Amino acid sequence: MNSIFGKTILSVLAVSLFAAPLIAFSQTLKPEAHPLPVALPRGPAKPAMVGGGASEKSISVDRNVTISLCVTQGNLKVNGWNRGEVRVFVKDGVKFGFNVLQKSLHSESPGWIKIVGRAAKGKYGPQSDCIWGDEIEIDAPLGSTVSMTGTETTTTIDSVKKVEIKTLGGGISLRNIANGINAAAGQGDISVDESQGTVVLDTTTGNIVVFEAGPSEIGNFFKARTNSGTVSLQGLQHRQIDVSSTSGSVIYDGEILSGGTYNLNTVKGSIKMTIPANSSCQVIAFYGYGNFNSELPLKIETEDKYEGPTRRIVGKLGTGGATVKLTSNNGSILIKKR
Amino acid sequence: MNADCFDIGTIQAFLDGELAHDEMSRVSSHSAVCDACAMMLAEAEAESAVIFPALEREFNTLVPTQRLWNKINDSIAVERDNLPLWHKAWAFLTVALINPSIAVAASVLIIAGVVAAVWMNRTPANDTVAVANPAKTISAPVVNSQTIQTTGEETKTPATKFEQAAYRPDNRRMTVAAVYRTSANANSDGYMPGEESYVKTISSLSKSVDEQKDNVMRPSERIAYERDMAVVNDAIAKVRTEVKKNPKNQSAKEVLYSSYQNKIDLLNSVSQKEELMASLK
Repeated sequence: MNSIFGKTILSVLAVSLFAAPLIAFSQTLKPEAHPLPVALPRGPAKPAMVGGGASEKSISVDRNVTISLCVTQGNLKVNGWNRGEVRVFVKDGVKFGFNVLQKSLHSESPGWIKIVGRAAKGKYGPQSDCIWGDEIEIDAPLGSTVSMTGTETTTTIDSVKKVEIKTLGGGISLRNIANGINAAAGQGDISVDESQGTVVLDTTTGNIVVFEAGPSEIGNFFKARTNSGTVSLQGLQHRQIDVSSTSGSVIYDGEILSGGTYNLNTVKGSIKMTIPANSSCQVIAFYGYGNFNSELPLKIETEDKYEGPTRRIVGKLGTGGATVKLTSNNGSILIKKR
Repeated sequence: MNADCFDIGTIQAFLDGELAHDEMSRVSSHSAVCDACAMMLAEAEAESAVIFPALEREFNTLVPTQRLWNKINDSIAVERDNLPLWHKAWAFLTVALINPSIAVAASVLIIAGVVAAVWMNRTPANDTVAVANPAKTISAPVVNSQTIQTTGEETKTPATKFEQAAYRPDNRRMTVAAVYRTSANANSDGYMPGEESYVKTISSLSKSVDEQKDNVMRPSERIAYERDMAVVNDAIAKVRTEVKKNPKNQSAKEVLYSSYQNKIDLLNSVSQKEELMASLK
């Protein structure tokens, strides 16, 4: 009896010992295909907004007023004008009002106001401080600072002193901003035109286009980053430029200023730098699975020749007054004559 | 006393009534004709007569009656029926494992089971993400590579291998301890100076982003994010291989650090978005 029982146990053990690794091996042989998720979670749900009519209000403010607002939906246009007054017009949207957060020490006029929605709960939309509407137009003093957060907005801001804007979706277009821009778009393009001051631009999936921007005072810098878009810069006058893109290209068309630092970086994209023939700078180019080319006569000072695809080239154009650092992992680098 | 005489043990057993019927008859008939045995029997009987009364009380109490035995047996049977299953199993195992061969076999089975579990849960080193054609989907949007004059040296882009995508459930289950263990392993892998800080930052950021990204990103953003992450991971993996081959390769190091920074920026973009969403609520 004991021997039969023992044999049975040993037989089961033997089968188990062989079966366990076989099962494990067969599971590893299954195709591990992980396509991009199909049923992805939805983002923030848009509130059901049903408004009506148009409303307009204005308030007398200091000429250097700070305007705070939150916009959940709509096309927003902010225009600077030469008055000490803020006028807001909302078409087919929420009722709104002004909250004076701080008065100016000089003029006793409101120096910091907030535009707030007055939606009744369940009537026009969710109870919120944010405003929304088909068209939202704001006229603000030329010296005003606009501080805005938004959900789904197409924003155009023109001729104000300073802009701080963060949106989850929708494009941002900024023009003639006098003293600094800090713009972040979750999903949308950012364009900047004829603006001064420190410029910081960040978008997740959009492109960044900048045309004619420069510092308003010494020390102002330019920084732009996009994950999967292209960064295109033309006519920049900043001396500190830092541009980065993950899977997009970086295009720079402009002068190389003496003493400037230009850092252009992309992981899987090309870098194309179009500069005048008389540019003077030291070029440091790092590239992996791509190549480097220059239409300008670059005096090569150092060129690493290790085994493998990665390369470093250090060269000089002219006397080398500025530093240009170009890094691309998987793309081409080209310095082109303007 | 002759050869047919009985020893004192048999005599005592005779007196206690413990002998078989034939043996009892034999002792009885022999002691009737043998003076020595009769004497021995009489002495033993006298001793018993002294001892038994003295111990009578103890004997009466200690020796259970048949009724008591029945009660005890019934109680044992009831208790055995009410015993929990695991107790019965444990009792069975205890009994079964007394046999050395079964004990050895059980040990081997446990070890085999542990090895099999580790084998099945291991993460393959060359885990790949199914991407239809990464070279096409992640092409440079504006600058056409044809417009850039290539050097005489032909650049070969190796077959793209992607690291395990961050959205896989295995990573979500990664604990803090695992994160630090990963860092420790990375250190033991021989990271360059400064690289470890990148890895630690990325580990901690990845953990928080993995928790947030389901709520923060919309499908199209999520797809773009995962694609970009795959691009960066691929770049890091390729360049890191170069650095491992030749640790003095400064250009590879620079490209590697740049890729790490890109990954951090990519992860940060999700965190910033989460902050913005929280502020809008």
